[in-house]
Amino acid sequence: MSFLASTKPVDSATAAYLTDQIDQARAIYETLFPTQHLRFTFSAGHDPVWSHPAVYEGPHVPRPSDLGPDYLGSVERPGTSPSAPEVTVQLSIPRQPNPAELKHTEAPWHPMRKLSRLFRASPLIYEHVRYRAEMMRKRQADQRDDKNAMPLNPGSPLISSASAPDSDRRPAILVGMHWLEVGGAEKLGFDTVRWALQAGLRVFVVASVPSLQRLADRLPDHPDVTFIRLDRYLPHHLWPRYVEKLALAENIRLVHIHHCVPLYESLPLLRVRLPWIGTIDSTHIIEYANGGYPRTSGVWSSYLDVQHVISQELVNYFCGTFRISADKVLLGRMLDRDTGADATPDLRLKLGQKTLHVTFIGRLHYQKRPVVVVETLRALQAWATKNDVAFSATMVGDGAFEAAVTRLLRRYGLGSAVTRLPGNTDVPALLQRSDLLLLPSNNEGLALVCYEAITHGCIPISTRVGAQSELLPDDLLVPLAPHASVKATVAVVDRMWRDGGFLERQKTLLARAWARLAADPTAEEALMPIYCKAAGTTPKKD
Amino acid sequence: MSALNQTAAVIVTFNRSAKLMKVLDALAQQTMRPDVILVVDNASTDDTATLVEARARQDGTIRHLRLPKNVGGAGGFHAGMKAAYQMGAHYLWVSDDDAYPQPDAIEKLHDALVGFESSTGWRPSFACSRVEWIDGSLCEMNCPRPVWDWARFVRPQTAWALVDSCSFVSAMIPRWAVREHGLPIADYFIWFDDAEYTRRIARSYPGIFVPESVVIHDTPDNRGVNFGLIDEKSLWKFKYGARNETSFRRREAGLISVLAYTYGVRQQMKSAEVPSSLRRQIYGAIMKGLKFRPVIERV
Repeated sequence: MSFLASTKPVDSATAAYLTDQIDQARAIYETLFPTQHLRFTFSAGHDPVWSHPAVYEGPHVPRPSDLGPDYLGSVERPGTSPSAPEVTVQLSIPRQPNPAELKHTEAPWHPMRKLSRLFRASPLIYEHVRYRAEMMRKRQADQRDDKNAMPLNPGSPLISSASAPDSDRRPAILVGMHWLEVGGAEKLGFDTVRWALQAGLRVFVVASVPSLQRLADRLPDHPDVTFIRLDRYLPHHLWPRYVEKLALAENIRLVHIHHCVPLYESLPLLRVRLPWIGTIDSTHIIEYANGGYPRTSGVWSSYLDVQHVISQELVNYFCGTFRISADKVLLGRMLDRDTGADATPDLRLKLGQKTLHVTFIGRLHYQKRPVVVVETLRALQAWATKNDVAFSATMVGDGAFEAAVTRLLRRYGLGSAVTRLPGNTDVPALLQRSDLLLLPSNNEGLALVCYEAITHGCIPISTRVGAQSELLPDDLLVPLAPHASVKATVAVVDRMWRDGGFLERQKTLLARAWARLAADPTAEEALMPIYCKAAGTTPKKD
Repeated sequence: MSALNQTAAVIVTFNRSAKLMKVLDALAQQTMRPDVILVVDNASTDDTATLVEARARQDGTIRHLRLPKNVGGAGGFHAGMKAAYQMGAHYLWVSDDDAYPQPDAIEKLHDALVGFESSTGWRPSFACSRVEWIDGSLCEMNCPRPVWDWARFVRPQTAWALVDSCSFVSAMIPRWAVREHGLPIADYFIWFDDAEYTRRIARSYPGIFVPESVVIHDTPDNRGVNFGLIDEKSLWKFKYGARNETSFRRREAGLISVLAYTYGVRQQMKSAEVPSSLRRQIYGAIMKGLKFRPVIERV
């Protein structure tokens, strides 16, 4: 039997994938345009993450470019009446990612071209240049007058505002994430999905940044949890309209924003048309260049009912810089009482011990300064050799700096002393056999990994950034400047190793800070009452 | 993804009408027939044009792309692939005018490209057939080059070895590879255009050798490419080959690679006692290759 190639049936795997993607995309636009006559045009995409959507409201005449080599076909969804307005939606169905794309989120990092020789000559001087540039950006950002909350007038009592329509659906929450990839903010996002489910809410999850959303499978496998691929199929300017339609259709009572910009931009519409919907956001880290998400949150604070933060530093930032009422800013630490937040940590490092295992855990991204980590490990190895201490280290994490770190470790002869492990390593087990945790980040909120380290008896040494001082005593905080950071880390390790009084003081101060933090509410304790109120349920008492 | 399977065959021909007709016969007998057969006619002076046009009247898939002058195999493949791409082909099957694909050769290549991607997640940049000479032995000049981990996905039922280079004799190239890497270099005129092109597209991911897809290459004799085989008659081709490969090596790996190549060529010519007058011309071609920097045309 002979047939033309173009008539060959589509293989079953491809057919299943395309059908699923088309269904997901259709569901989004059919929610957004419930009454309109929808015309979908699908094509095979070259991009694994983004569908390059084009939406035309009103009549649209197809052009030859719409029907090119990648054209898959068109589908129509009639409107609710013959005179329903037309909407044309053109989408490229993202291709499936290859294994390399699944593994790496970013392209490998390379030093800036003009400074590549400098990096080869001295990675630490290169880091110093970068540090200076960042501090300069911070100074400039501090001078900008862009840290003001946008006013929101509640309107005159003469005109009554809209009230919630009756719905036969159980209350739901919309959780907006940055993306479903590895990260501290993302971990909290996943936790909130779980808590909302426990509170009895149905949960809709969206992400603002197109990506492979590698951790989507960590969402609870539950019929009440729905991940809607807006990140892939809906342009940001249409998000507010979509959120309105979804909220009405699904009885959404709460919107929780985790670093999701288009949801912030949906807030005015929610305030005007759906004022009964509660709005919360969670923020973690004040970035140097412009304040990052906390600044965004501060700017939108009038539109938010609750601003959840993970550190006292952020409470001060919102109440001080943005003049936000203290009762609106909700502190909820990223602690988990089930995994030992209440227990007093038993820290392992002993005076004059003959072995030392140092660990670094974090994405190999500039924020964590992996180059400074390697330089610190190099200096610690030299210190250990001088003091006849058997030195070993583990670096956990994947990311753009992976190849650069491998090259540096090889160059410094640290290949055998330093073990590299992927991001999905059993972190508690590793911390259980580590003496020290290094965190020479250029910025942090209050690093979750420091909590974990202390829980498992490992002493963290961190740069003095963000809210790290809320957990770590002064002596365990090292300067941010790269050279000084390396030098101070070795000095503090040396002092803890030699000076029993100093070591005990650090342990005592760590235990005190730990107890102080443990007395604060956890994020779960802070958020659960809000979720339960929206669900109309009662929080469980343990 | 293989939701779109429009396939164009690109056959480059020059004054070999009888063999070309046999190729068209073989294409007509394919289990999976190309949607378009582009016969790129390098300004043949025999009856090629008449015969192809007569065929095209009977078979709507055949297109006669007559070039105004002979631009060599490289120019022909460049023009043919460009036309196939512009016509919207999702797969480009490229071959010579003296290579007869077995009835399932094209379908097997397509199945292998699709099957490899769905089983491994990787997109091969091309798939190439096992090329046999007329007596059933392996055709020496069309042996693909394996990569170091060629056996990574080889299984008894899917013995697809990873390769980074093959000849334009029954090779199937997906559209994305042309979009990302451009077209073969027309300025090469002849020789090494296929090796350069497949190595270039294999940067994305290697190609696969598909032994169950077989094509018979009807060449006068079964000889490989070896500088020890140079004679007066074949010298012109070897000169193009030396110039093109030198240019490629200079571009990709620098002068050290060119020196290594020159040494290899010298050894081959020396051991076969190639006359010094011919050797000098080959060295001259290598020197030309150092300065020869043809532009890669993107689509």
